[in-house]
Amino acid sequence: MDNEFLIIRRAIDGDEGALRALWARHAPHIDIVVRRLVGHDHDLAADVAQEVWIQIFRALPSYRGDSQFGTWAHRIAVNRTLNALRKTRRLANIETEVDEESASIEPDTDRAFLAESIEQAAAKLSPGARTVFMLHDVEGYTHEEIAAELGITTGGSKSQLFKARAKLRKLLAHLVDATDVRTPIAGSEHVAPIS
Amino acid sequence: MLHLSPERLAALTDEAPSAAELVHLSACADCARERRAFQQLSSMASSESARIGVPITTWESLAPALVADRVIDRGGRFVFSRGRVGRQWLQAAAAVLLVTGGMIAGRVTANTPPASMTSDSTTSAASATALASADSGLSFQTIDDARAAQERSQAVYQNATAFLAQHDSAAVGANTPSAMRTRLAALDRVRETMGEALNKAPYDPVINDYLFAAIGQREATLRQLNTALPAGMRLTSY
Repeated sequence: MDNEFLIIRRAIDGDEGALRALWARHAPHIDIVVRRLVGHDHDLAADVAQEVWIQIFRALPSYRGDSQFGTWAHRIAVNRTLNALRKTRRLANIETEVDEESASIEPDTDRAFLAESIEQAAAKLSPGARTVFMLHDVEGYTHEEIAAELGITTGGSKSQLFKARAKLRKLLAHLVDATDVRTPIAGSEHVAPIS
Repeated sequence: MLHLSPERLAALTDEAPSAAELVHLSACADCARERRAFQQLSSMASSESARIGVPITTWESLAPALVADRVIDRGGRFVFSRGRVGRQWLQAAAAVLLVTGGMIAGRVTANTPPASMTSDSTTSAASATALASADSGLSFQTIDDARAAQERSQAVYQNATAFLAQHDSAAVGANTPSAMRTRLAALDRVRETMGEALNKAPYDPVINDYLFAAIGQREATLRQLNTALPAGMRLTSY
């Protein structure tokens, strides 16, 4: 919005009404980013979102208007949320996490649980897998950016993404393929071909 | 050829299949269908980024933290410093009123006419008027006082709106999703119009107030609308 820079200018001056207006306009987008990345821990998500907004407003004087405010704030939201998740060690050992997690998938449980949305289904993923999926498929990060952000390799990022998608495909089977919910491919008869 | 693994099918959303995979996909209905399902999942994920939801932060919890952090300037230009002067003045006026009123009440109950009744009652009336006037915000000594009061009122109004949106279940029941969508569309038009006007008159207080009010009401309506929708359903557009 063209007039947003005027609100931002007032917000930088400490005008509460302007700060509130920015929050009111962007919270529906920013808060959901935090919630997606944090997962089902609502209390943690609320705490992180609060930190995110404080950081956004602290950093406001450094906003130069090179990008939309929403885009700029979005980036801060992702970075702060990842930092917060690191602090709570939810992103520790991310490389091994998905391998362990995917090995423990129980198809019957997955079939019984049908998520109503991407967010709900992703909450069933491990923190690492959810983060990679959200960053790549939802937020549009590249594997290189994810690797740099999470301190993993691009190969690791890809591997986690594909496993996350495979699990989500099962959890959202009724939404992505309403006519035919296929039994998850598993077992020795289904092996990926090597070209 | 054996079926493609789920992970490989998931990868084919971003990567091109090899020649062998391509041959298999053209012949295997199961794998082709699975590939389409993953493409559909990818498309769902992309649209997820545009989704909006009920904020999990509240201004009531954010504001004190921002004040403590000195991001919100309540102590700077007008609100805090002049507010403190205003409060001191109000306290003094209240003290005068109480003392004078007490004296009068004491003398009345003692059936004794108050000494210098005229001057006392004049002072009392003046103090009461000044107090009421300052308290209700009907008159101001300076432009800054008026602006400060205006900002406080705006904040109170927005807080009250947000509170009602969150807690007034009667209002939620009375507002149908359809009516709220209409309101949102109207608020967006107001916001757009005021936004354009603000470009020409950036500091016009009326335009600013209408813009902020529209933004505040929009937020409140979004909260209400998301509350009114069935569980699991979230507003992505209206």
